[in-house]
Amino acid sequence: MKHTIQQVFRSGKFLFGFIVFMTLLLITIVYPLIIRNAPLQIIGQGTFFPPGIYVNVYDSIGSPPYTLNLTDAAANRIASKLSNEDRLAMQEWLVADGISESQIDISDTKTLLDQWENNYDPTLNIAGMTLAKKRYYQRLNASLKGILSTEGAIIATNNPQTGALDETDTVTQSDYVNINQVPNVRVLPLGTDNFGRDVLTELVSALATSLKIGFVAGTVATLIGLTLGLLAGYIGGLVDDIIMFITNIFTIIPTFVLLILISYSIGQEHRGAFTIAVVIGLTSWVWTTRAVRAQVVSLRNRDHVNLSKLSGHSIVHIIVADILPYIASYVVMALILQISSGILAEAGLSILGLGPKTTEVPTLGLMMNWAMIYQAHVLGKWWAYFPVIVTIALITFSMNLMNTGLDQVFNPALRD
Amino acid sequence: MKRLYFVITMFMVMAMVLGACATPTPETIIQTVEVPKEVIQTVEVPVEVIKTVEVQVTAEPSTETFPRNETLYFNGQQWGSVVCWNPYSSNCNNAMAITAQDSSRVTMFETPYLYNMLDGKVYPLLANGDYTWNDAHTEITFKIKPAAHWSDGTPVTADDVAYTWASNIKYETNAGVNYKDYIDSITAVDPQTVLVKSKLDANGKTVNPLMVAAYLSSNYVIQKAWTQTLEARTGGDATAFKADAAEDVVWSGPYHKFFADDTKVVYVRDDNYWGQDASMWGKLPAPKYLAHVIYKDNAAGSVALAQGEVDVSQQFNSNVQILWLNYGLPVSTYLPDPPYGIGASLPTAFYNQKSYGLDQLAVRKAIAIAVDYDTIIANAMTNQSATFAQVPRSLMNPTPGEQALYDHAAVADLQWTGKDIEGAKKLLDDAGIKDTDGDGWREYNGKKLSYVATCPNGWSDWQAAIEVVAAAGKDIGIEITTNYPEWAVYQTVVTDWQALPDTGYDIFMMWSDGAGPTQPWGRIRHLISSEFAETQNNWNGNWGGYKNPAADEIIQAIPGETDPAKLKAAYTDLVKIYLTDIPSFTLMYRPQSFHAVNESVWTGFPHQDDGTNPPVPPLDLTDGWSIAGLYNLTLVNP
Amino acid sequence: MKGYRKYFLNKMVWFLITLVCAFILNFILPRLMPGDPVAVITQRVTQGMQSQSGVQAVYNQYAELFGTKKPMLEQFILYMKNVAQGNFGISFSQYPRPVADIIASSIWWTVCLQFPAIIVGWLIGNTLGALAAYLKKGFDKVLMPVSIFVSNFPAFGMAVILLVIFGVGLKWFPTSGGYGFDMIPNVSWKFMWSVIVHYQLPFWSIVLIAIGGQAIGMRSMSIYELNADYVKYSRFMGIKDRKIIGYVFRNAMLPQVTGLALSIGTMVGGALVAEIIFSYPGLGFTMLNGVMGQDYPLISAATLIVTLMVLSATFLIEILYGFIDPRIKAAQSD
Repeated sequence: MKHTIQQVFRSGKFLFGFIVFMTLLLITIVYPLIIRNAPLQIIGQGTFFPPGIYVNVYDSIGSPPYTLNLTDAAANRIASKLSNEDRLAMQEWLVADGISESQIDISDTKTLLDQWENNYDPTLNIAGMTLAKKRYYQRLNASLKGILSTEGAIIATNNPQTGALDETDTVTQSDYVNINQVPNVRVLPLGTDNFGRDVLTELVSALATSLKIGFVAGTVATLIGLTLGLLAGYIGGLVDDIIMFITNIFTIIPTFVLLILISYSIGQEHRGAFTIAVVIGLTSWVWTTRAVRAQVVSLRNRDHVNLSKLSGHSIVHIIVADILPYIASYVVMALILQISSGILAEAGLSILGLGPKTTEVPTLGLMMNWAMIYQAHVLGKWWAYFPVIVTIALITFSMNLMNTGLDQVFNPALRD
Repeated sequence: MKRLYFVITMFMVMAMVLGACATPTPETIIQTVEVPKEVIQTVEVPVEVIKTVEVQVTAEPSTETFPRNETLYFNGQQWGSVVCWNPYSSNCNNAMAITAQDSSRVTMFETPYLYNMLDGKVYPLLANGDYTWNDAHTEITFKIKPAAHWSDGTPVTADDVAYTWASNIKYETNAGVNYKDYIDSITAVDPQTVLVKSKLDANGKTVNPLMVAAYLSSNYVIQKAWTQTLEARTGGDATAFKADAAEDVVWSGPYHKFFADDTKVVYVRDDNYWGQDASMWGKLPAPKYLAHVIYKDNAAGSVALAQGEVDVSQQFNSNVQILWLNYGLPVSTYLPDPPYGIGASLPTAFYNQKSYGLDQLAVRKAIAIAVDYDTIIANAMTNQSATFAQVPRSLMNPTPGEQALYDHAAVADLQWTGKDIEGAKKLLDDAGIKDTDGDGWREYNGKKLSYVATCPNGWSDWQAAIEVVAAAGKDIGIEITTNYPEWAVYQTVVTDWQALPDTGYDIFMMWSDGAGPTQPWGRIRHLISSEFAETQNNWNGNWGGYKNPAADEIIQAIPGETDPAKLKAAYTDLVKIYLTDIPSFTLMYRPQSFHAVNESVWTGFPHQDDGTNPPVPPLDLTDGWSIAGLYNLTLVNP
Repeated sequence: MKGYRKYFLNKMVWFLITLVCAFILNFILPRLMPGDPVAVITQRVTQGMQSQSGVQAVYNQYAELFGTKKPMLEQFILYMKNVAQGNFGISFSQYPRPVADIIASSIWWTVCLQFPAIIVGWLIGNTLGALAAYLKKGFDKVLMPVSIFVSNFPAFGMAVILLVIFGVGLKWFPTSGGYGFDMIPNVSWKFMWSVIVHYQLPFWSIVLIAIGGQAIGMRSMSIYELNADYVKYSRFMGIKDRKIIGYVFRNAMLPQVTGLALSIGTMVGGALVAEIIFSYPGLGFTMLNGVMGQDYPLISAATLIVTLMVLSATFLIEILYGFIDPRIKAAQSD
């Protein structure tokens, strides 16, 4: 036993898969201890905030300012409001308005802006211009106000007595604050989702739930498969026929359809994470049974088994003591595969809207589902769905790698 | 021998591959395409002599592709395959052709008048000129345009209007059922004049003049001759009558069926359409084809809109502004800034009056004022709704017409904007509803307050809104959990008062009326009138079972009232009652239809301040007066 | 051939028994779902109707029509009779459209999407796996991890990523539909081409995963075989490698062939995700809608067809197996 374990951990593939899997598992355990925010709490008013560091503007005004004189600050400021495409668009408009192209130099910001201010007329109807384009110019015009100004901004508060604005502070263009000194800074490495929830925290919590579901589903499936396979393989005869028959029926009826039917029948109310896991387990034991049975069939005529039979040991004893240890390795591999396919099955169900209830626990499939519903992939909000896909892939990849490693240990022929 | 086996295996595999790889024989696909039969209806109709004007028989689809600059693509109207073409049926799932509502879709079948939700007026379509009430305000008369004719060439007459009404009543169609309490009869005085008699009450006054007038813009006129054919075919059986597939239907509108299968529906313009007469539009609508690809869900439709494969989108495109702000696509909505569209209906959260504790005003009000509506609007609706700070809550939708109907100042102190956690807690504390056993949840008379908030599964913006409601409960100490049953189950429970109290639907979401000729009266009636409280098969409203005789009285009185000052006072009273009793509360404002357009091929879509007079509403160029938009379209690259 | 007779008889008997049971199960399963579809249809049709008796009358009418009031056994016999005539009944959710019509229009798309995908994936995957086992070293070291990663990628993940990268981002392929959004089906090269182009993304989202799975399986089997005694013996005897390989891969392929039959069973479920993400017409989505709409006839018919396909495929494969693998014949006498 010890020797087997030593061998297992010496296998490169298993080790790699094991490390990845353990890392993920540790993250799900350690992360909630460090970051104590509730995963399902809505923190964003608005959807899909991009990943980044969010600094409270009000607090940064109150934080001690530092003056930094950077040479490219002005250029950066202008470039962020006036991109190259915008300049070309302005040129296009001016040309359509009648100004000759030679007079327009898009790299000279000041002149361009002067020309624009003097000539732009939002009500002018240029032939062939779509409404969208017209509105674009209106937006552009609005955003260009004061772009070249070098004055700072004035902060004023409402005086409760006079009702007027009292000047309290000025912010110059060279004022910088140190993020560490701003009291309210929130790092959102993966932004927020459509509900306004922190994606990273939700993802870790969903990972934990999905792992649990996978584990339960896998265990259920393997237990059933193991029991039935053992019985069918060893006892043979009518029991074998009946079990094989049931297995065939389950093979024939597409499991996914069965899953959908059962999920739908249970109804949203009872569709907790655990229930879904059990349902998945109950529909995916088929190939384990077959595989176990095949192994047992080849084992049952071995000498040591016959010896036990002659010795008068009970069937249960024979199965447990003589057959089980030989297929143990196979069962472990089957368990790993079942867990991984359980996670995939739950994700698949959730995408169809038949997964566990949204509000109690997040699962990986549910996060995907909501991201798709709110069209994250159309809008380019990759953080809402891509990390979920990667996570699922990583889990299944690591488990399968472990499985392959184990395979190589138990089947020396497969070692490379 | 072994070689033989190997060969056999390879052969079988090859056969499977080849068999499967063969592209589906076109016959199998075209199997679902109905070749439109030539419409020769002469046989069964002895009454009218049908002029044998050769109908434009659209031949076998000979175009390989639809010319992009002759086709207008839609999405968001049609989900699933079209089942039938029968305007008497409510089951055809034929959204582009058969949608009779306040602003009826008049692409294939037409109504006498068109409602314009922007100015609240009706404009004549099949009718000639405005309708007139008689002096006693008990009858309406209107004329039919002489130019109007059916697709088979026969003219549209008052007889058609009368017979349609008679059939609606006889076969209990939706139109008949909804209006039979208000309209007594519709008769043809002469071939061009229609007389509508309203039902009178005991005093000889019209029961509800609003509803009588609304009929004229909400329901289709269907050809009498064809209706008789249908009756003969189905032998007077109402179910068969309404379930008939009606492939041979006769229409008066500009478009009709060209192609329909599981992946798309296409309508083609009838170049003989009567509307090109000078008495109506004076020209034909710009697109030759109206096509609607059937997308599986919103996401697929949004991708298509972004790609330029869809010109007019009636679906909820989450964060639609990103398409033009970030990607520079030529996509626009009616308004350039939030709320991007004109709010018209009020999705409402109803309280089940029989739920434990919800009979207490303090509880109802506390939950209602604690909900964070700004988050609902920003997250669930992605800002496609006006906020309650911009349009304070009432019973009216945000359109200027309805907003002017009540006295804002009088109810200002009753209106709330939400997220008032402290205020809610105070309310509950003052009412004595506190947490006595320290479990974090409040009790009322010793029993913990625990509610289930629910809406149908898959309606994502509603689901997101319900999540926020549940979160509010948590903040004030009332346990609210969520549940999302399938729509099929949800609708059965909500409309069945006997079952409702036991099913745990404590706070549930349903829609309200949108913009229409009877609004806001219709909406108010559906929200709080006790005629619908505690009834079975209730598709009208007031699903929570609220009863208030004072409100009922006012609701009864409004349709007969014509003095604007009195009307305003009445509406203000109703708003006061609603905001004081809080039997339900509005969660957000929703546009009548979503309306986003992509200008990569067509331009000239309706938008704010587009100079059209009457203003064309943003109803996807098909509903009510919005159909005028089809005549204003031009190509970007002609 | 005598052993074969017993073998075939055996298989045939099981086939028939399984068929009967599957048939019964297909009938019963949807009807076990809670909820009353007739009530759902009635609600839809009687929207707004005020008179209780009117609604009740409509309900009774539909119940008569769909026969849901009769006892289960009677319904079943009626169902069997109808199916024998090819009449699968009328759909509840798309009333009055007949179920056969709905299925006929969508099944071709599913079969043409999945079948080639499975076969191609199977062929390419097995080839790659066999090559990896034979060539070893570099090729194997790269192929193995890549195959493992790809084969366990979630199907919807693959579909979404392909959609975003190739459809929305690079715009190389269309993003939705079975054929061009501006076309209607006809016999022309343009249409065929459009079908093929629209076919690509859904096809590859399934095939890539299938390839991975098959490659791993074949590789394991091939390695087993390559290390078998007879191979070493043949090598020592001087028999050319190419001849040996023929034997090796034939033996290695056997379990894979069984796997192929099983994949056909997962065909419909597998296509479901691709259908939704790519808005591709097909049976999977129809069936999902049927489940959501409690459409018994549709669900029964769809699952029946799938069941039949799997059963037939399994049966055929098993017969084929009997020819290919002599050990089977021998084992039957065990």
